[in-house]
Amino acid sequence: MILMLGGLTSEISAQKKGRAVVCFQSDMDCTNCEETLYEHLRFEKGVKDLKVDHASNTIRIEFVEKRNDEKSLAKAIGDKGFKADKITSEKYKELLGQVKEHGHEHDHEIHRERN
Amino acid sequence: MKRIGILLFIFLPFIAVSQLLEGAIYGNEKNEKQPLPGVNIYWQGTNRGVASVDDGSFKIKKRSSDHILMISFVGYQTQELHIHDLNFLEIMLEPNLELGEVKVVHKNRGTYLSAIDPIQTERINGAELHKAACCNLAESFETNPSVDVSYSDAVTGAKQIRLLGLEGTYSLLQIENMPNLRGLATNFGLTYVPGPWMESIQVSKGAASVLNGYESIAGQINAEYKKPDAEEKLFLNTFVGASGRLEFNGNGNIRVYKDKLTTGIFVHASDQSRRNDENGNGFLDEPLSRQVQVFNRWKYNNHKGYMAQAGFSVLTEDRLGGQASFRKGMQPLISNPYGISIENDRMEGFFKTGYVWPNQRTALAWLSNFSRHETSSFYGLNRYDASETRFYGSAVLTRDLDLAGRHMLNTGFSFIYDKFDENLYQQKMNRKEQVPGIFAEYTLKPGPDFTFLAGIRTDFHNLFGTFVTPRMHLRYNMGEHVTIRASAGKGYRTANIISENNYLLANARPLQWSHDVFQEKAWNYGFALVQYYTLWGRELQLNTEYFRTDFQTQLVVDRETSTSNIILAPLDGQSYSNSLQFDLRYEPIERLDVLLAYRLNDVKQTIGGELLEKPLTSRYKGLITFNYTTNLKKWMFDYTIQFNGGGRIPRYPVEGLERISISGDNFEFSPYTVMNAQITKYFRYWNIYLGAENFTDFKQKNPVAGTDDPFGPDFDATNVWGPIMGRRIYLGLRFNLNYQ
Repeated sequence: MILMLGGLTSEISAQKKGRAVVCFQSDMDCTNCEETLYEHLRFEKGVKDLKVDHASNTIRIEFVEKRNDEKSLAKAIGDKGFKADKITSEKYKELLGQVKEHGHEHDHEIHRERN
Repeated sequence: MKRIGILLFIFLPFIAVSQLLEGAIYGNEKNEKQPLPGVNIYWQGTNRGVASVDDGSFKIKKRSSDHILMISFVGYQTQELHIHDLNFLEIMLEPNLELGEVKVVHKNRGTYLSAIDPIQTERINGAELHKAACCNLAESFETNPSVDVSYSDAVTGAKQIRLLGLEGTYSLLQIENMPNLRGLATNFGLTYVPGPWMESIQVSKGAASVLNGYESIAGQINAEYKKPDAEEKLFLNTFVGASGRLEFNGNGNIRVYKDKLTTGIFVHASDQSRRNDENGNGFLDEPLSRQVQVFNRWKYNNHKGYMAQAGFSVLTEDRLGGQASFRKGMQPLISNPYGISIENDRMEGFFKTGYVWPNQRTALAWLSNFSRHETSSFYGLNRYDASETRFYGSAVLTRDLDLAGRHMLNTGFSFIYDKFDENLYQQKMNRKEQVPGIFAEYTLKPGPDFTFLAGIRTDFHNLFGTFVTPRMHLRYNMGEHVTIRASAGKGYRTANIISENNYLLANARPLQWSHDVFQEKAWNYGFALVQYYTLWGRELQLNTEYFRTDFQTQLVVDRETSTSNIILAPLDGQSYSNSLQFDLRYEPIERLDVLLAYRLNDVKQTIGGELLEKPLTSRYKGLITFNYTTNLKKWMFDYTIQFNGGGRIPRYPVEGLERISISGDNFEFSPYTVMNAQITKYFRYWNIYLGAENFTDFKQKNPVAGTDDPFGPDFDATNVWGPIMGRRIYLGLRFNLNYQ
């Protein structure tokens, strides 16, 4: 859940110059898939920040515009066998918000584990 | 479309009355309930889910429309539960008999204290093992507040651990939950477990469960090797130390038949062939050494409750130490330089199997291992040759006595066979231990906040007769923030007088002993208080613990009452250890983990009729560790400071005193500080680490006494209390490839 909270706060804070953000909806089913994707994506070119969440099935990637693009990132997700449907930041927030609302009381506990 | 339909349904703005459902998830690991973090818990047909936390617990909101709870975790069978009420759920995931593979989460804390386990246990996982060079088990504890690691002597390179201020022999060392690294492997055994082969380590203090045997007086250390059915396909590691140490480790997993039959192959080779004598005393600071080890393990899991594992390993090692001018092949003669040569050959095998009945209330497990170890060595003019053959087998039947799992009973039997042939000073010693034993352990768990565990075992020893081992553990969660634990128990062990103390042969005085074999007995009592708080949004963990060990019989090493001998004799009087430890874990800024720890050791022993502080034991230890990772964990920085208290040096009195002059500190060593640091850079398939151990270059002065005449009466290389080697810079590479 903290990943989501973190996602929200960094959404609010101004993006750094030359950085772009792309959000996807995917079809992960378990924390295991989440980890596989996280491990894969964090080493993609230019990736500076990454939120992967299986509960809302969302991925948010902040990357250096010059070093990568949305298409390649979507392909990287596809390479691991997952869906990558681009969604807007608003939709991303909405999806996260739904899950967050339902799981609100667990936030600090999840944090313990996943910080 | 279906998914969207479900989403729409959930997002409909209806006012749902939701209630909170709580529970905890365990994995059935070798018939022990182990909390499982990271398990997915969600309501069927929804995307509302949570994951269990460190102690396996979870909380999930239940709406009136929610009925079926899904629990899924990789390596375990998915469970579906019909939920009718809000009673606390305790869920045991099956069928794996042991913890298969718990994936490490993105940034996890390397070490944590379980809140659920009734025994005070520190769990050290893969993340922690990345924080130091971690070439072997002995070096895995540099960032650990509970375990001290020190050199036994200044010439053999043997390392020993201390738990609660007591020697490693008082802790039960296990590999994959089976006793190991004992007897002839006592002195070098910690270097027989290569760091990169390990998946995790568990350190528990005080009396352990009777299921594991009658040993474990101070505690228990268990190392788990990587599992053949894990995600890892190939792992390679090389390591270069600036002092000339080279190391290679590798392991690979092969899925022979789907995920049912898997095998893992492990190799290790290390070499130290540069002669280092930094302090210029003519003696090597560490011996030249070479070790090669190969291990192959197999696992069969039919995923329907039956599992079997077997493995076999072979190890060969030789060490050459002493005076720098000593060469391989030289005979132990007074006309040659003083030399130490130790050759070890060892093979090991294990077999374990288990079955869980479909009703999941009964499980049967069998654990067994054997080892054959041969040592051929000399220390100056003292020759010591020995061989040992050992077998251990244990069968455990676990049964839940009621449906809710409030009462559980473990019963079983075990058998130990240990045959020693030793030869020292042309004197032969042979003996055989045969110990059948029976045990029973009852667990009461009326709710998630309370566990009571009582165990008893009886062993029928062919040399020491029949003896009874009672043990007891209690855990209670006092509200949300505080967990208390108490334990008491008796422990026994066979003191292998020579094989455990053979490093004392690096000394002018001959050993003198009255028994070839001897049984040590002690009581241990412990109390621990763990507190969890949330401070500025992050968890603060405070731990306080106190352990007392009282020896009834003990083998005492007396280096101070005789000028002509080192005396190994049974205790005559009191011997005890008090250990009081505080530690604090916190993340003051994002991704920076800090550990502060402080421990007081009060270890006393009756030596020569006088109650004295145990020699060469620091009176306290302080530890500070910092671990920082950058976002996305591409870089990791580690820094460790150890504050070691002073202590007593054992010296033989009268005229010996005048002859030995060791710059200033004769009967006392002063506190000293050691610092380690490491930087790791991660890439997708590999990572590189650069570090320095003891970078302030602190060394014990004159660790070897009488170096000008090593065959003379003043020679002594066994009074070691601090580092012998100074700053050691190292560089390592790790490569790993996973399935998927």
